[in-house]
Amino acid sequence: MQHIGSRSQRKSVTQKLSWWAQLGHALDRRERTLPSLLLVPVLLFFIIWNIIPTLWMVGLSFYNYSMISGRPARFIGITNFADILVDNSVWLSFSKTLIWVFSTVAIETALGLLLGLLFWGSAKLPGRRLALTMIFAPMMITPVAASIFFRLMYDPTFGVISWVISLLTGQAAPNLLGDRLTAFGAALAVDVWIWTPFMILITLAALGSVPRAELEAAQIDKLSWIKKFRYVILPNGKFILMLGILLRTIDSFKTMDLIFSLTRGGPGNTTELIAIVLYRKAFEAFNLGWASALAVILLLTAIAFTSIYLFILNRKQAEEA
Amino acid sequence: MAEIRLDKLRKAFGETVVAVNDITITFPTSAVTCLLGPSGCGKTTLMRIIAGLETPTSGEVYFDNERVTTKSPAERNIGMVFQYPVVYKGINVYRNIELPLLEDKLDAAERDRRIKDVAEVLGLQDVLYRNVSGLDNATLQKIAVGRAVARQPKIILFDEPITNVDVNSRVQLKAALKRLSKQHNQTIIYVTHDQTEAMTLADEIALMKDGVIVQRDNPRRLYNYPNDVFGGWFLGNPGMNFVQYEVNGGAELGGPLFRKPVRFENRGGDRTVSVGIRPEYVQIHPQVAPDAAEGKLLRKSIVVGGQYLLAIQLGEHTIKAKVAPEIGEVVGESVWVECPLEAITLFGEDGAKIETELKPA
Repeated sequence: MQHIGSRSQRKSVTQKLSWWAQLGHALDRRERTLPSLLLVPVLLFFIIWNIIPTLWMVGLSFYNYSMISGRPARFIGITNFADILVDNSVWLSFSKTLIWVFSTVAIETALGLLLGLLFWGSAKLPGRRLALTMIFAPMMITPVAASIFFRLMYDPTFGVISWVISLLTGQAAPNLLGDRLTAFGAALAVDVWIWTPFMILITLAALGSVPRAELEAAQIDKLSWIKKFRYVILPNGKFILMLGILLRTIDSFKTMDLIFSLTRGGPGNTTELIAIVLYRKAFEAFNLGWASALAVILLLTAIAFTSIYLFILNRKQAEEA
Repeated sequence: MAEIRLDKLRKAFGETVVAVNDITITFPTSAVTCLLGPSGCGKTTLMRIIAGLETPTSGEVYFDNERVTTKSPAERNIGMVFQYPVVYKGINVYRNIELPLLEDKLDAAERDRRIKDVAEVLGLQDVLYRNVSGLDNATLQKIAVGRAVARQPKIILFDEPITNVDVNSRVQLKAALKRLSKQHNQTIIYVTHDQTEAMTLADEIALMKDGVIVQRDNPRRLYNYPNDVFGGWFLGNPGMNFVQYEVNGGAELGGPLFRKPVRFENRGGDRTVSVGIRPEYVQIHPQVAPDAAEGKLLRKSIVVGGQYLLAIQLGEHTIKAKVAPEIGEVVGESVWVECPLEAITLFGEDGAKIETELKPA
């Protein structure tokens, strides 16, 4: 009797176990499907608006396709790429773009650091908050709007900037955007005006990531400002700073709307950055195959930038770990 | 050599929190003073005010009669070691210790000598030229200590420096701190909540509670004769036994602690007094002994050093006693408890010590 009893007991235990196990598996499956299901809308969005157009563009870059010729697209292999690589005007634009990227990022980073440090150091200054809000305003204005009012300010007949310059130099008001010598610099200044606040923000974030004790130790150890920056602020804040620089680099590389509404690439081709060339080919000449090929090259360049950056970042992190 | 004098120092955060409440104290030159107290008693705030990292709400700080209350930390010329090891990243240990020295305009040979000196005391020779990243917490804290010490400031502040260091390295670091503190006759303030640390390092301990310094004394006296119930309770492991007596202004104590009545001078006319005795001073007899009160053994456990900790019921009170292994091993259910009069401190209704001598009636 005892023997049978113990066996039936064992059986019911296994039954119970398997029932729980089954429920567990069911929950497991649900736990895996639900998150995937919730991801579907965003994935769909991403595929429709990002992946498909990109693939489409890559495909198009191997075709000779002009929207106005009325002829069907014709596969021409890498002819578009070959054409671009031997095109002097593309190389010229490309080098201008590199100068543009380098100058904007360098100036914006330097100014951003300087102003960021000033704001950070003046935590108790009255009106600091208001000043911060005001300084961030340019970043929130669309570049096209900013360009339009800068075009007005640069205007030789009634622009305020031109007027001030003529007052200072005692000469006739310059046409800054219309002069081959000054147009690039004038456009650069607008970009700096718009994007320096971003680097201020990044600088403040980087400074916020510096542990308080380290700053206090530096104070007590009587470290000079330069040493404090070099040994306390930079080691702690460099990843955020570098992220800001990367974002600015990628963004600056794509600059188009700002230039387009300021100078349309002119005078001549003085301010014709690579994105302007791309736009012209695609939407003024409607040579979509060629434009796609250029876009693919730019995409690869941007990916290369990012990879180099990530490589450096990872290596530094690995060193520190 | 610098003496630190605090005058009616007060620091309030907001309206309700008073971290430091009217503290007037002088930290003597060339001595290690520990600020000891439970978490949140204001000891760190007090130290930060001395360092200049916090501005007092009112009161003054003097270094050798020079008012420094409004001076910046850099102007105060002090060294400080924080609770979390602070090192300058991306450079080696040597350079870390060297950085503050560079600001002091010392020549290269002197800098090198000082760095090598502290490295030796702290046992950092092997890692001296290694990058600080990848070193463990204990080593990082040693670097921080070295950095503070190598500059040879007149005042060094330690804010719980070994709390975040593993147990084995603690002993080593403590020994190094002790050696360093004797080397340059500096005035050292050491904040801690660990009584063992305070007892081993301090020339004097300032016991803090709720923003005030309850007692400042050498470790031995502070331990044996606390001014206040708090000192008796906070120090020792476990803390002092307290047994309350209703005396109603009288001056005689009897059971349960004493078999024969004991007299004291009740000048304040307290109605209740607390008899305080440290567990290690309570004498336990396994057999009937003259002048000992009978109690019941409730619990027995072994503590560090092989001693036994006993919980004994005595009347309606439970008192703890720490006894030698020979006694601990043989005690039965009934024990006889004797409290030597010289080991007893009496506290009044307000918790303050009553200055009196206990005598058999």
